Amino acid sequence: MSETLEKLQNRILSDARLKADERIKEARAKAQQILEEGRQRAQKESDEITARANVEAESIRRSILSSKVRVNRLRILDEKNRIVQEIISSVEDQLSSIAKSDQFESTAQRFVAEAVKAVDSDQPIVRIGFKDATKKNLDGVSRALPKGGKLVIDEKPIDDIGGVVATDPEGRVVFNNTFKSRLERLDNQLLTLIASAVFGG
Amino acid sequence: MSGIDAVRKIVETEGQARRIVDEAAAKGQQIIAEALEQAEQSRQEAIARARQRREEALRDAKEKAETEARQSDRETEQILDTYRKLSEGKKDAAVQKAVELILNA
Repeated sequence: MSETLEKLQNRILSDARLKADERIKEARAKAQQILEEGRQRAQKESDEITARANVEAESIRRSILSSKVRVNRLRILDEKNRIVQEIISSVEDQLSSIAKSDQFESTAQRFVAEAVKAVDSDQPIVRIGFKDATKKNLDGVSRALPKGGKLVIDEKPIDDIGGVVATDPEGRVVFNNTFKSRLERLDNQLLTLIASAVFGG
Repeated sequence: MSGIDAVRKIVETEGQARRIVDEAAAKGQQIIAEALEQAEQSRQEAIARARQRREEALRDAKEKAETEARQSDRETEQILDTYRKLSEGKKDAAVQKAVELILNA
């Protein structure tokens, strides 16, 4: 009886120890799983932070750089524009003093002829005004007029730089052949020519 | 040994057995709790490292962009200088061509 009881007690304790070992084993496995899942989650979150940081860093880099490139492009454009405007100003100076040059008479005649042709009238009225122009060097201009035409000589240069304006007798048709209007009409060609002459290409 | 003594012994042994299992269960809970704490700590450390790398990446990107911006400034200065020299050398010819265009177009 006593021996059987001892065996039973041993069996009960042995079962309990087995069960306890099993509990510990399960807990350790669960702990291992928790650590592994935690490691994976930490890695994932870390990777996400790194990926966002890379995008953010590239965005910052582009923002700083594109802003600087934009400013520098504007500086280059401003400088080109300043140079072109300086040249146009010199062109205006030369044109305004054309009356002193050899080619004045022929140029004035041509401007008058063009204006007269443009208004297409038998009795055109032509105003002419150049800086420093004298009656003498405007003598030949009347040859470009038709018989019924009238020449009006302005003492001051028309449109500041000088030129010719023709109208029909009623003033309905007007053709402005001043340097200023020629500069405006030829604006695109002029800018291309100057840019090409100075900067090439 | 009487039957009553035998039953008492069995009851005592079962109590002992229950304590063994309960202690193991408590230890198991502690192991899991420690694992949870360790996992969270590792996660926080990993995130802190990632955030530090982020700060470094942003700082590097800014420095790199500023270096490139300074290079862009230098290149622009060179271009402007070239334009100024070109305009000095070619201005008279450009004015002449432009005057010819306005007179003869």
